[in-house]
Amino acid sequence: MNKPVPAIWTTQTTEVVRTGSWRLALPEYVNPPAPCHNACPVDGNIAVWIRHIENRNFRDAWLTLIDNNPFPAVTGRICHRPCESPCNRGQLDEPLAIRNLERFIGDTALEEDWSFPEAPVSKEEQIAIVGGGPAGLAATFHLRRLGYAVTLIESQPELGGVLRYGIPRYRLPKSILDGEIQRILKLGVNVRTNTRISTQPDFEKLRSEFAAVYIATGATVPKRLSQLDYSQPWVIESASYLEQTNAGANPQSGARIVVIGGGSAAMDVARTARRLGKEVTVLALETEPLMPAQRDEVLEAKDEGITLIDGAMLQSIADHPQQGLELTCVKAEFAAGAERGEFSVTPVPATDFTVNADTIVPAIGQDPDISGLQDLLETEDALVRINERQQTSCDGFFAGGDLVATQRFVTVAFGSGKLAATEIDRFLQSGAPTRDLLPQPEVSIDVINTSYHPRVSRAEPQLVPSNERQAVFDEVELGLSVDEVLAEAQRCFSCGNCTFCDNCFYFCPDMAITREGNGYSVDGDFCKGCGLCVSECPTGSIIMRQETQ
Amino acid sequence: MTDSGTRILLTGNHAVAWGARLARPKFMACYPITPQTPILEKLTDFQTAGKLDTEILTPESEHSAMAACISASLTGVRVFTATSCQGLLLMHEMLHYASGARAPIVMCNVNRTVASPWAFWPDQTDSLAQRDTGWIQFYSESGQESLDTVIQAFRIAEQVTNPVLINQDAFYISHALEPVDVPAQETVDQYLPPFQPEHFLDPKRGESLGNVVSQEMFCQHRKDISKAMERAISVAEESDAEWQRLVGRGYGIIEAYRCEDAELVITTMGSMCGTVRHAVDEMRSRGRAVGLLKVRLFRPFPVDALREALAGIPDVLVLDRNCSPGTGGVLHQELKGALYGLADAPRIHGYLAGVGGVNVPPGKIEEFVDQVQQSEPAIHSVWAG
Repeated sequence: MNKPVPAIWTTQTTEVVRTGSWRLALPEYVNPPAPCHNACPVDGNIAVWIRHIENRNFRDAWLTLIDNNPFPAVTGRICHRPCESPCNRGQLDEPLAIRNLERFIGDTALEEDWSFPEAPVSKEEQIAIVGGGPAGLAATFHLRRLGYAVTLIESQPELGGVLRYGIPRYRLPKSILDGEIQRILKLGVNVRTNTRISTQPDFEKLRSEFAAVYIATGATVPKRLSQLDYSQPWVIESASYLEQTNAGANPQSGARIVVIGGGSAAMDVARTARRLGKEVTVLALETEPLMPAQRDEVLEAKDEGITLIDGAMLQSIADHPQQGLELTCVKAEFAAGAERGEFSVTPVPATDFTVNADTIVPAIGQDPDISGLQDLLETEDALVRINERQQTSCDGFFAGGDLVATQRFVTVAFGSGKLAATEIDRFLQSGAPTRDLLPQPEVSIDVINTSYHPRVSRAEPQLVPSNERQAVFDEVELGLSVDEVLAEAQRCFSCGNCTFCDNCFYFCPDMAITREGNGYSVDGDFCKGCGLCVSECPTGSIIMRQETQ
Repeated sequence: MTDSGTRILLTGNHAVAWGARLARPKFMACYPITPQTPILEKLTDFQTAGKLDTEILTPESEHSAMAACISASLTGVRVFTATSCQGLLLMHEMLHYASGARAPIVMCNVNRTVASPWAFWPDQTDSLAQRDTGWIQFYSESGQESLDTVIQAFRIAEQVTNPVLINQDAFYISHALEPVDVPAQETVDQYLPPFQPEHFLDPKRGESLGNVVSQEMFCQHRKDISKAMERAISVAEESDAEWQRLVGRGYGIIEAYRCEDAELVITTMGSMCGTVRHAVDEMRSRGRAVGLLKVRLFRPFPVDALREALAGIPDVLVLDRNCSPGTGGVLHQELKGALYGLADAPRIHGYLAGVGGVNVPPGKIEEFVDQVQQSEPAIHSVWAG
């Protein structure tokens, strides 16, 4: 006995009503960049690899990461994480702990001994890279992946540049660095260490042997303080200090060290000296919140017993043979300029004070050594000038890293190397894909349906207690556990990156959305343009596109 | 009569709560409002005491309360709620939705003056303004009748799949204590089988409700609702008769009280019936041929029963405790329509009496009768205090 179905109930389909004719706008699935993606110096697909983590697919997360950066275990520790401050999640509770997630994947890859996919040499042109630091290594990796044979030339005995000779091992253990460098070398790289290319004939000779030359020799010349007599034995350059301590040596110094500077290098020197048992004072021109060092470095340094004197400058030094050095300092008004690195300083009258010390380590930044390049190509303000295609003014020479930028961040150098590889490829292969230089508007919090994202606090890594760190160079920050990583990955809004949650499919009142392959399709016969799919999308991956009749 | 219930002293509101409890609803969404709140309070007491196995939701408004009731009802569970005046008006959109969705919800409305100005007195304009929403409407004369009607209402609603609104006047009924016979649970269970609709929402069933439809489908749907409303008259009569068989109390869809050979019949709804009943007794004792015709079922309007009951009566006086500005008393208007074309139709006098809760004592009703018998009926309703 089949009773008729009441008209209010639909037991079969609603195909009879073609609601599409009501429509003024049609949903469109889009993939706009997440704020983290736009901020990432290596253009990392952060939301994509975090999604892989959420699905416990750590290997795919790693493969996505290395598309843009072969050093996730390194950046997972020392990146200045420009991705985290614009994270949309920060407007709900706290930004995602992106760097710690990256570290987990980087470490997992090393523990599991994952290799890069093989990269056979497929192109005739050979490339020379001068400088085995972050930019040079990144360029090497990406050029090898593009099929080029690469010769990597380094003046030091080992590869790594600032990663090896500048950053202390309590922030970046050497085993991690070695692991990630060796993995690049396993792709097949012709490495020439202890080889200095510094003169114009050196560069010209290279150019004649290689189809393109990438120069990434870093910033190795210390900036100098006019108040300081660098010929004195009690002055040690920060680069030299760190190079020695990173090699395991203990530089000759007195018991009381004053480090001058407010950046990461100053923190590295101070914290290294502290671990060598010294009494350490940091004298920073900037007030504490404005110091260019990463905030956690400053806090950890203070935890370790380092005295910070901020907003002050050195005026003069008196050398008393018995008591040591007496530094006369003054409080100063520091004002940052328009460009990074620009600033003005005004001493505050009658705020003089003295600090006693035995050794002074200035760490106020370094400039590139462009002495051998000045007649070969255009330079400007101690930097090599490049165009947006990463080319110098001299044909076939590309440059990157600290040599071209005042943004002295390791990750920026990695990004610079990646960009150079792409552009060298374009230079050599006319058909190589071009980069999309038009910035897309990024996903804002307004298009994220935060109802689907309950408030959860950010995963914070454990630190070794400060009293246990002072005499050892063991890593200070511990990684997150698997459970913490999985929970943190779930916090990601996946801005602009569809997670295939099916909300659009389920909420569509006209059943106009169907799952199709790797996404969804909208049936124009039935979509009436209500926009429910857009408002219920937790990731901001759908927009309404106005239609003209 | 087999029932072995108990007799207790209850207000009209608590009688309604008892009726709802005995009907075993599985869900209620309710928003408190004077003078309805004691219904909700009593039901939450029952639930807390473990006497009522139901889910009670208290949303942020009556609109949401009714929306929740509709959704719950469509999942196939029995649903009860209660409201009053402003709350009922706020539900208005959802009232149409409920009847359109064929959700057999039972709701008690305590009739109260509609703002503005602000007041709390008995007046039926709130529920009469919902006459076109597709809800079956009862008007109750006492707490006992309210209790019995709640139970009957579920039986009617679930048979015809239309929602039911039971109206009782503020304070006169809602807050007045009277002895009420509370039937035994077994009696009610026997009378009211578990709600098992043929169609209900369940992700496993592949059925949906309320989709966009074509013109023809919409038209068919309205026909279905109208047919169900027509059927509701006989279902209401049958349900009342069956209840009477079980517990000995029945009310009819209308009630003709002492109308034999009456020269004048007073027609009204709700608590006013009690007053008129008393006045009729008084007048009859003095030999005046006056009767009461109580309209208990207002929607569907029992046109045939009214025509039968009033045919041949010389004069009918309608007392409306409501006012529809521009047309007058709603019952007056409806009754004129219902009796139109009747060969021996009575003359119909419409009085607006007790609007805004103004007291109408038995003596006043006798004055009305005197006036009516000395005058020709006016076309329009007359203000009578």
